[in-house]
Amino acid sequence: MKRSFQAIVVGAGPAGSAAAFTMAKAGLDVALLERGNFPGEKNMFGGILHRIPALDNVLSDYWICAPIERHVVKKGLTFMTGDASFSVQYESQAFDQTPYNGYTVFRPRFDRWLAEEARKAGATLLTRSTVDDVVIKSGKVVGVTLLRDRGEIAAPIAVAADGVLSFTALKAGLRRPKFDAGQMALGVKALFDLPKAAIEDRFGLVRDQGYSNEFVGCTAGLRGGGFLYTNLDSISVGLVLHLGSLRSGGRTPYDLLNAFIETPHIARFLKGGRLLEYSAHLIPEGGYGMIPEIVGEGILVAGDAAGFCNVTGLNLEGINLATHSGMLAGKAVVEAHREKDFSRRGLSVYRKMLEESYIMKDLKLYRRAPKMLHNDAIYQAYPEILCSFMEDIYRIDGTPKENLHQLFLRTAREKVGYRKLLADTYAAWRAL
Amino acid sequence: MNIDDLFDYTSYTIDREPHIILDPQICVGCDHRGCANSCPAGCYTWSEKEVKMAFVHDSCLECGTCYIVCDRNAFTRWRYPRGGFGVSYRMT
Repeated sequence: MKRSFQAIVVGAGPAGSAAAFTMAKAGLDVALLERGNFPGEKNMFGGILHRIPALDNVLSDYWICAPIERHVVKKGLTFMTGDASFSVQYESQAFDQTPYNGYTVFRPRFDRWLAEEARKAGATLLTRSTVDDVVIKSGKVVGVTLLRDRGEIAAPIAVAADGVLSFTALKAGLRRPKFDAGQMALGVKALFDLPKAAIEDRFGLVRDQGYSNEFVGCTAGLRGGGFLYTNLDSISVGLVLHLGSLRSGGRTPYDLLNAFIETPHIARFLKGGRLLEYSAHLIPEGGYGMIPEIVGEGILVAGDAAGFCNVTGLNLEGINLATHSGMLAGKAVVEAHREKDFSRRGLSVYRKMLEESYIMKDLKLYRRAPKMLHNDAIYQAYPEILCSFMEDIYRIDGTPKENLHQLFLRTAREKVGYRKLLADTYAAWRAL
Repeated sequence: MNIDDLFDYTSYTIDREPHIILDPQICVGCDHRGCANSCPAGCYTWSEKEVKMAFVHDSCLECGTCYIVCDRNAFTRWRYPRGGFGVSYRMT
């Protein structure tokens, strides 16, 4: 069976649905393909949907109608060792006012809602449709084939929004066949059910306020970190592990996750909670350096498929970049239809729009961050230095004190040495 | 709190047709077998005794970790399951 559309979007995640929504609103006949039984079925993430100003403009007050769990008003960062932890926390009244700065959401619900908005705008949502290959004619992408029923869908333009591994971009010759394990991270997550009141008591929240906490030093020395996010009546706890480090680390992600959940620091928050779901996903963490070709003959790449993920060590942004890039891809497709030009040159307006947006500006600005984060000391030695320093400050045991800078330098020298401390400070300064 | 049965808390619609096919002969020559300890679903098990890599696709979370960490192209097939099959997240 062969069907024709004016555009094809592969993948009904945030990037794909935003692209299809934008095209459908402009009157294009667009097919939105999703391999799951429903959009979001295959998706999970760490937990924060950051604010997407571009979405505010087209779906006003979307935080009211979208399936949001909580809006995040309080953020924590914790450095852990085996038996100690040092935390900093930031909370702001401003984060408690609309438009909120970030939300916790469940992807099977949020992605489904966004795809439904695209469908309501006129897009044709085709679920249970795994794309097998792209159809190329005279060097141009003119359609895709599906695994099921050997179906074929034709269109003069396609948007690859099929996620981190993007086989669509691969088959269109836009990404290299081999990924670098050093540019990928694995997220594993356990979701625990907990009464709303218990969550609000434990984290000091009212109404639908939310809390998020990142953890460093909880990965047995592997490069990575932990996270904890509050949903309405459940808590997400998980780890993000760099694949280059995990591959040779000799520990499994689920053992590390279990160990993290068992630490007293985390266990007290989960007390009485019941496991609801376990999930995992890859994160493109290579930043600017891993972006593939995003414009081809008759094809654009958006979201995770384009490596649009900004990792600074403090924030992890993905869905906002995906949604925004999807909207820009949608705009570029609308323009291409107006000009009747689907060539790489004609579509290069997409790249231009990305360059002018925060997406490329931020990725360029933090292009050194991924390499800076490839420093094993951050994940074990530095949390130990911080905790040992704080222990010495707070411990009163009748021995004479050192002044604080002497104390810090001595602790740092014992753990990493002055030279490394200086080099790492410089690297972090340059990267951030 | 320790979750021994973590894997029981993920839902699937299992496809008889595997979406990943491994050539285990290639794994014999691998010096790290990183897939065995990186896969978040424990789909890969190396047996030192039998000198063999066992693989099951049923509990695959479709994350792509094995696709990335394998540097010997041990897959004769690596694709996503047919539409409607595979892992099915409900909340997460």
